[in-house]
Formats: sequence, structure tokens, C-alpha cells
Amino acid sequence: MKKIFVILITFQLFFFSLLAQTGNLPPVDKSPMDMSYYPASYPVLKIQDKITEPLAARVVYSRPQKAGRTVFGELVKYGEVWRAGANEATEIEFFKPVRIGGKKINKGRYTLYVIVNERNWTIILNKDTDTWGSFKYDAKKDIVRAAASVQKNDTVVESLAMAFEKTGNGCNLIIAWDNVKASLPIIF
Amino acid sequence: MRISFSVLIVFIFFIACNHKEEKKDTRIIKIPTIDSSAMVKPERTVNPYVPVDVSPMDMSYYPADYPKLKMTNSAIKPPYARVVYSRPHLQGRSLFKDVLKYGEPWRLGANEATELDLYTDATIQGKKIKAGRYILYCIPEKDNWAISFNSNIDSWGLHPDESKDIARFVVPSKQTNNSVEFFTMVFEKTNDVIELVMAWDNVEVRLPFIF
Repeated sequence: MKKIFVILITFQLFFFSLLAQTGNLPPVDKSPMDMSYYPASYPVLKIQDKITEPLAARVVYSRPQKAGRTVFGELVKYGEVWRAGANEATEIEFFKPVRIGGKKINKGRYTLYVIVNERNWTIILNKDTDTWGSFKYDAKKDIVRAAASVQKNDTVVESLAMAFEKTGNGCNLIIAWDNVKASLPIIF
Repeated sequence: MRISFSVLIVFIFFIACNHKEEKKDTRIIKIPTIDSSAMVKPERTVNPYVPVDVSPMDMSYYPADYPKLKMTNSAIKPPYARVVYSRPHLQGRSLFKDVLKYGEPWRLGANEATELDLYTDATIQGKKIKAGRYILYCIPEKDNWAISFNSNIDSWGLHPDESKDIARFVVPSKQTNNSVEFFTMVFEKTNDVIELVMAWDNVEVRLPFIF
């Protein structure tokens, strides 16, 4: 019995020290941030001298987990503006001009929002960057609204994932979570 | 007897869980109760698009929590700076025994090179640094760290190209009483100076910026 107590207390001490260690330093986010480039893995290719096409885009987003919930239609309500991530609003950057939804988009940083519906998603690029969530979303600052095609999968993606996939005339931004995969065509 | 039996069961469970893992992951198994509280949990299903990094990425602004401040004050001025970095964690290791070596460059993070975005010109140790995007890496020594600003942006953190350094600053390193589990970068304001605090294990380094 004594042993169990010692083990418990040791773990508890570790746990408290972990809590205490951060002080006013930021804790690790439950929904970690991540970054995807087009071309995929550009930073690795760059240090290996294996770049075959120029840098076009990157997305910086946070990755919430499904954690047993039904994501689309419940956690993310249909028809509402969603930050497509967690914490800071999702940021997409283009390193050259591209076309999205028939509109020319200048190079630069944008905030990306999504309006999710069952059969189609609307992707919004907004010029109000460095912001949190979608709480202060202002449609007047929209740059473009474009349709993304939606596909239901049999497999479930636990952590929200974003990646760029090569296409014949540019790339698709893939947003996948739970059993849904959305693709936004980006032309360049 | 019953206790030692349950301890044995738990032990066997860990061994069994561990069996399929790669060798490098055994360190996680040693201290499961500690890290489970803060660590990124492994995927319940394999992520077919992008696996979740063991060292999660994070972002710190100056002013601190700028995106949140902006929510409550839409008239706020643009931010001064932000850093985008990944957060490796100690997992029972000691920083300068097991992770870093004195005199060897370190990417100040993990995975992609650590990125500093300056939204406005800054002065560091009397040298003007123009607004723009840089990557940072350091060369740690026992009493001080050299922090390099480098122009090879959007690159992976290994093997920094020193020929692309645009500035290098030497700052003292300080021993702290607490150990920080996850590598942390954050901006703090002290008097008129804004410091980029870099902390891991019991080492803290501060790079002063004047905007």
C-alpha cells in the first residue's frame, strides 16, 4: 500500500511541477498549430536542394481533434462562419498571384474562413489578418468567396488536416476532418 | 501481493503497448502519466493527409496575445512582431546533456526553421533590422547564446546556411530555478525594451528589441 502512495505522490509532484513550470509562459495548445506548403514539404526540399517548382502557398492553422464528436452539422454548424481550425484564425499566404473562384488574388497573407454546408463549402479569404477565431469576422473585408467541392470518406480523420495537392493548373487546398474532405482549386 | 500483481499487469500492458512502437518512442512510455496531461495525443486513426507533429507548432506575438487583443479593440495598431516555432519537449531528458551541444547551431525549435516576422523596423543591440521575415537559429554556449537572423526563409531547421546570416547577436544565458518542459518563445516588455524570451529546461535567454 505504501508503495502505491509513493508512486501516486511522485506522479502528482511531477504533474504539479508541470503545471507550475509554465508560470506566465504560454502552455502547449490542446489544438496544436501546424503549417503546410505548396509545393508540399518545401522547407525540406529547400535544404536538400531539390526544389523543382517555386514556392506558391502556405497555410498556418491549428488542429483540433474530433475526440468522439460529430464534427460537421454539430460541432461546426451548417451555414455559420467557421475559423477552419482553433485559436488564432487560419492564415493562408500566397507567394505569387493566384486565381481563386475566378478572381485574381494578389500575393500576400489572408485569413481563411469556411462556411460549411452538407454538400458544399464556401471558402472565404479575408484581409483582416493576425486575428483570433471568427468572432470579429467582417464580411466587408472579404477578398473572395469561392466554392469548394466536398467529398464524404469512409475513414475518419481525427485531427483537422490541411494540405496542398498538385493539379494540372495549380493546386487544391485540401481541408479534411472527420469523414469530410473539401477541395478548393487554386490556379496559377 | 495483489498490489504487486496489479503493478505487474500495468507493466505488461506498457510492454505490450510498446511492442509495436519504434525504438525511439520508448522514452514516451517511461513517463506516461506526466506527459499525457500536456502532450499532443497520438492520432486515434492514422491521418492520411498530415500526421500531427510530436513537437507542436506555436505562435507568439508582440504585443502578447495580439489576435485576442484585436477581438476586443478593433482600432488596435498593427502588431510589431511574431515568432512561429515548434515546441519540442524534454520528456525526461536534460537539455545540455541529451538534447543540445555547446557550440553547435540549433534551430530554436523543431521541424521547420523558426520564423520571425517583423511588422516594423527594429533595433537590436544598436543594429537596425528592417521589417520583414527572417529565420532564427542559435549557437548556445555555457554563459551566452549567439542568436542569428538569417534570410533563408521557408526552410527546414537543420543545417542553417551561415552565409545567409544578416545579423548575429550574443546574449547572456541565465539558469532558472524551474524547468520548462516545452521549449517556449514569448515576447515580454520590460521598461522600454521588448524582449524575446527563449526558455527550455532551466535555461533562459532574452534578446532585446527596440521598436
